[in-house]
Amino acid sequence: MKGSLECWSRLLLLLVVSNLLLCQGVVSTPVCPNGPGNCQVSLRDLFDRAVMVSHYIHNLSSEMFNEFDKRYAQGKGFITMALNSCHTSSLPTPEDKEQAQQTHHEVLMSLILGLLRSWNDPLYHLVTEVRGMKGVPDAILSRAIEIEEENKRLLEGMEMIFGQVIPGAKETEPYPVWSGLPSLQTKDEDARHSAFYNLLHCLRRDSSKIDTYLKLLNCRIIYNNNC
Amino acid sequence: MDLWQLLLTLAVAGSSDAFSGSEDSSGNLKFTKCRSPELETFSCHWTDGANHSLQSPGSVQMFYIRRDIQEWKECPDYVSAGENSCYFNSSYTSVWTPYCIKLTSNGGIVDHKCFSVEDIVQPDPPVGLNWTLLNISLTEIHADILVKWEPPPNTDVKMGWIILEYELHYKELNETQWKMMDPLLVTSVPMYSLRLDKEYEVRVRTRQRNTEKYGKFSEVLLITFPQMNPSACEEDFQFPWFLIIIFGILGLTVTLFLLIFSKQQRIKMLILPPVPVPKIKGIDPDLLKEGKLEEVNTILAIHDNYKHEFYNDDSWVEFIELDIDDPDEKTEGSDTDRLLSNDHEKSLSIFGAKDDDSGRTSCYEPDILETDFHVSDMCDGTSEVAQPQRLKGEADILCLDQKNQNNSPSNDAAPASQQPSVILVEENKPRPLPIGGTESTHQAVHTQLSNPSSLANIDFYAQVSDITPAGNVVLSPGQKNKTGNPQCDTHPEVVTPSQADFIVDSAYFCEVDAKKYIALAPDVEAESHIEPSFNQEDIYITTESLTTTAGRSGTAENVPSSEIPVPDYTSIHIVQSPQGLVLNATALPLPDKEFLSSCGYVSTDQLNKIMP
Repeated sequence: MKGSLECWSRLLLLLVVSNLLLCQGVVSTPVCPNGPGNCQVSLRDLFDRAVMVSHYIHNLSSEMFNEFDKRYAQGKGFITMALNSCHTSSLPTPEDKEQAQQTHHEVLMSLILGLLRSWNDPLYHLVTEVRGMKGVPDAILSRAIEIEEENKRLLEGMEMIFGQVIPGAKETEPYPVWSGLPSLQTKDEDARHSAFYNLLHCLRRDSSKIDTYLKLLNCRIIYNNNC
Repeated sequence: MDLWQLLLTLAVAGSSDAFSGSEDSSGNLKFTKCRSPELETFSCHWTDGANHSLQSPGSVQMFYIRRDIQEWKECPDYVSAGENSCYFNSSYTSVWTPYCIKLTSNGGIVDHKCFSVEDIVQPDPPVGLNWTLLNISLTEIHADILVKWEPPPNTDVKMGWIILEYELHYKELNETQWKMMDPLLVTSVPMYSLRLDKEYEVRVRTRQRNTEKYGKFSEVLLITFPQMNPSACEEDFQFPWFLIIIFGILGLTVTLFLLIFSKQQRIKMLILPPVPVPKIKGIDPDLLKEGKLEEVNTILAIHDNYKHEFYNDDSWVEFIELDIDDPDEKTEGSDTDRLLSNDHEKSLSIFGAKDDDSGRTSCYEPDILETDFHVSDMCDGTSEVAQPQRLKGEADILCLDQKNQNNSPSNDAAPASQQPSVILVEENKPRPLPIGGTESTHQAVHTQLSNPSSLANIDFYAQVSDITPAGNVVLSPGQKNKTGNPQCDTHPEVVTPSQADFIVDSAYFCEVDAKKYIALAPDVEAESHIEPSFNQEDIYITTESLTTTAGRSGTAENVPSSEIPVPDYTSIHIVQSPQGLVLNATALPLPDKEFLSSCGYVSTDQLNKIMP
């Protein structure tokens, strides 16, 4: 009798303790490899990772742009910069701090997602076409490949964040479609280089936007505007 | 797009004007820099030419254009940013939008520039640089401090609109070169081990993360420590490395000398352990010393690898050869000599390996050291060498035993009494065998043995070819450029009728016996007795003995030289275990000869043929 009572009390104690531990909240765990819904990752960790990745993408795209400028676009930068227009210009992104402050985080997040999605296709073709370019420096090609990978990763992370911050919101927003492939494949070398320059410039700009918006959201949501 | 095309032509025209030099002779009028300190506003500056005084003020104008506002507009604020500047406040600033600006003087475009606001961020210097003392070392010579500062006030770091990176520079007061620390994202950094009696200067600057351009440096902060105890020890304590090394070496040397020259064998062996010599596992040397022959055979039979190797390679032979490469060594102390010598201990040492470790007795074993044996031979000898040595000794043992047995089958005690380890030695002793016939053989052997030099180059090891399931060892002749087993060979001429009793249970026959019988063949008819005996037990007869003896009928007493190339091995036709092997007849040129070879293989068919 005594033995069984001891046994039951121990079991009860174990149950209580385990409940307490579980109720303490989600402990920071590695990001789920199997996609969202299979494990819980803290929002703080998700944002930390997203900020890191977007920072990295911005770095890579800046370097890639500078390399390309140095190599192919000396003396032509002015003209091409004057004429370029990015395929993501149609997105109503805030252009200064006040606008960004007034934009709701839902809108900001869907904007980020739209940007990321709209860059999937161009990045893929960028890699293919850069590979085919004669004498392309490895610095450019390797960075292009990495940016494509990181973009996908960031998109996944953002979708997870979106799912956590705004549960149940619809994710399928239309995003701008890129149609600049013919210009990348044109036979005219100068026109081709110009198209590349344009694309890389847009990539740098959009990665800067994504980076800034994410940092904004991070400070707003996680740190309560007190970074 | 029309406006942009217009802009393009204007820009081209303007650039060409600038290159060719405008009539304004404004030479140096151009944009110096545009910067945005916080990603919310920006300003552009230009230099005025040397001829500014000649021109009327206000003739210089700056215009800007944005993609979304497709018309040139004049600078909204010429004042706020100072002279020769244009300030765009937050309402005019649009990040991620390309701007183009142009500078005109009296209507002519002087300079132009295009940029995006996020590319021209260059923050103001940090403010509020100060330091606090963290702790002071016990010696009151060094101290740790924490340097803190605030980000530039116009940057909105709290909201996360801009992320700043800081770089701290420091130096001693009297130095000229600034040292810099790695970039930080936080607004404080500790500095360790500053000397209290020195003064330091620090300054910090910042930039937006992901950009290259730093802002201006903050004001220089002077760090001065209040004067502490001036009588503090000035010199650092120099650790007396030199003394420690010297004493350490001395101590080690003394210890080593004590150990090496002390008589304490135990300690010596602990520090400098003896290197074990390889030996065969599983063989108890004591058993080999004192046990019976059958026991030895059973032990050897356990090791299956002995059997298998025989059929495959002559590696043993090669190993043996290597052992006596040195001609001096060969003549002086060949294995043959040692085996034939009267020295008990030497032969004993063949089996003297102790079974206490995985190798043979080490070179430090006293019983080996005391012998005259060539120690290096013993110790250097690999197990492969040791094995054949031992086995060859055994072959001899068996041979001799067999001889004894053959000569006196009733005298089984005799061979048993002979220690296997001293068999070779016993050659020289008169055997207590009642058979007189063998006496002469022994004497013959003895004469042979008394001339070790003549046998110096004779390798009388017999290779153990096989081990019967009964535990008997089967020999095959080894190097057959030698005489084979001289001991066994030496008495072929001695024939006694008692040799009819050759048949024994463990039917090992020296080739000596074989030769004997060949010699006897025309003489003794009594060998018919032998025939049935061959069917009884395992009979292994060397083919070599077959061939050699076959080729040498009647001349068996001469120690034959190997004029006949003898194959050591012959292919097995049938294995009639446990009764024997029937070998292919190819190696047997003279099947008609009657012969018996005791240490070898012969096919029973041939035996049957031989024996009537």
